[in-house]
Amino acid sequence: MNVLIIEDEKALAHELEFFLVKNNYICEICYDGASASEKIAVNLYDFILLDLGLPDYEGLDLLREAKKANPEAACIILTARAEVTDRVKGLDLGADDYLAKPFSLLELQSRMQAITRRKFGITQTVIDLDGFLVNITDRTILYHVNPVNTITKKEFDLIAYLLLHKNRTLTRAQLSEHIWGSVINDDYDSNFIDAHIKNIRKKLSVFAPADWLETVRGLGYRIKTNV
Amino acid sequence: MKLQTKLTLFNAISKLVIVTLFILLLPNIIEKINKNYTDNRLVKQKDKFLQKVRDNGIKYYIEDGDTYGSYLPLKEEFISLEIVNYDLDTIRDERRIVERDTIAYRILSHTFKAGKKNYLLEIGKSTETIGETTGPLQNIAFQILLGMILLTILADQIYSNYILRPLSIIIRTKLIGNKFPKVTVYKEVKTSTSDFQHLDMSIHKMVETIETTFQKEREFISNASHELMTPISILQSKIENMFEQDDIADDLKVRLLEMQKILNRLKSITKTLLLISQIENDQFLKEDIISVNDLLQDVYEEISIRLQDRNISLAMLVIDNVELLGVNKFLLFNLLFNLINNAIKYNRPDGEITVTGQWVRNNYTIKITDTGIGIAADELPYIFNRFKKMKQSLSQDSFGLGLPIVKSIAGFHQIGIDVVSEKGVGSTFTLTFPIKLTGNAPIL
Repeated sequence: MNVLIIEDEKALAHELEFFLVKNNYICEICYDGASASEKIAVNLYDFILLDLGLPDYEGLDLLREAKKANPEAACIILTARAEVTDRVKGLDLGADDYLAKPFSLLELQSRMQAITRRKFGITQTVIDLDGFLVNITDRTILYHVNPVNTITKKEFDLIAYLLLHKNRTLTRAQLSEHIWGSVINDDYDSNFIDAHIKNIRKKLSVFAPADWLETVRGLGYRIKTNV
Repeated sequence: MKLQTKLTLFNAISKLVIVTLFILLLPNIIEKINKNYTDNRLVKQKDKFLQKVRDNGIKYYIEDGDTYGSYLPLKEEFISLEIVNYDLDTIRDERRIVERDTIAYRILSHTFKAGKKNYLLEIGKSTETIGETTGPLQNIAFQILLGMILLTILADQIYSNYILRPLSIIIRTKLIGNKFPKVTVYKEVKTSTSDFQHLDMSIHKMVETIETTFQKEREFISNASHELMTPISILQSKIENMFEQDDIADDLKVRLLEMQKILNRLKSITKTLLLISQIENDQFLKEDIISVNDLLQDVYEEISIRLQDRNISLAMLVIDNVELLGVNKFLLFNLLFNLINNAIKYNRPDGEITVTGQWVRNNYTIKITDTGIGIAADELPYIFNRFKKMKQSLSQDSFGLGLPIVKSIAGFHQIGIDVVSEKGVGSTFTLTFPIKLTGNAPIL
């Protein structure tokens, strides 16, 4: 998959590139709007990550150009501007998603995966974890044929996010940002990921021990699977 | 009451008062005028008569020892002459009996000498004939004046309407229903009245100043947000990438994790401050409709893990469920989340929280009561201040922006907040919703 990163902050552009390359994307970087405009006109991309706050170019104009020259590309807006109207405008202009800075790289990756799934019409994603059949799209879990319906919405969100980044240790901060990202409150240290994981394990253990849900001591959690 | 109505009313009343006074005084005035006129006539008649006496000699009118008298057939005037031995020169009202009729007269009495004798001349004019004209005069005057008053009121009305029109245009187009900030193009209100020109210009300038300030604040928020969020974003990405490097030892990863936590704290504070600024700068839409039940349910889903963590029981008593109209769901969610979250944080272990939603008289209220540490009376006025942390809450890992968020969201929706608290017993936060958001209370 080809990704064009349009980001004037070089340090951030490099981190994005580093992360995406590691996850098997092919990346090109533009640090300004003018060169991005040229690249968009010439090449075809699967993803365009667009920072709206470019010093030399109106970000929304660039989005318009991208939609015209690269209609197949999925555009994700990355912005640190706080204007509420920006988001609406961006999505109106055909952006596929919108991430407010600062965002987690994992969040970016899961948004990109979601877009890919949508695009290629992958409707059923069932993953077998030692007999637990997790259906990401229907948001259901079966143990063989028995439904595990004690799992709450939040708990499923956690499992799905860990599964999306399987075999990778996710920190409590990353997990809580994903499931509580929209809640504005003034706690900085209390996250209740541990309590959630404890509940999940308890609920699953009624059927079978969920050994695939691992605690990585001192760091976080991970779902280990070979599938 | 509108200025124009007041002016018209004052005009009408003042004119009526003046005219009524005039009409009431009219008989007196007419009487005075009549008296004067009559007196003048009497004096003239006297002079004329005396002239005739001089011309014709007294003997022509009166014999010795005799009296002379003459009156018109209807007795409205009379003249008499007699010999007296005193002097008199008066004009006065008096009643006389003339042929069995008692008639009120205005009588001029004048003594003069002719030959060797002293004569008294009396000329009388019936006052009944004098007073006769007063009534009709009063009537006519009243009618004419009333007509004139109506005419002038009409004229006043038309003119004041004309002259005050710029003012009503200013009020209508520039003041009523204006919500700040709004982008306006200055449209001059046409008027030749300098006061209104001044008023129009001043209002325009004030609105412009407010708008510029809002605009500046908005730009500041946007820029500050960009400047603050970008470095945080870079750091966050770097930490995340480093964390996944295979060649990094676990103890280093733990330290990276600590960095991530601290960065999260910085991120939360920045986001929260920006959110408060955005709310105060009116950058959120209020177009959602959500029922109190659904809203509280959403909060409950988010927060239940925290209740479980501290073994606190939460009772939701939505006695009356209402649809909230014209609200921002995201903001209201955060308002309730923060209040209930505080009720958890500052509760005692195994404590209780009661959330009640019901009509209290004409307003819908949501009440959140906890069995927590409470707030000391001397700290109560400051709980909504930014970064203000109460003594007993210092141990909590918060940065003191929970209640400021609550306050600005409530303010944005014009929801009233009341706090009642007793130290060591608990606190009750009461949200009072304006009728605008809920509609009127049902009549029971």
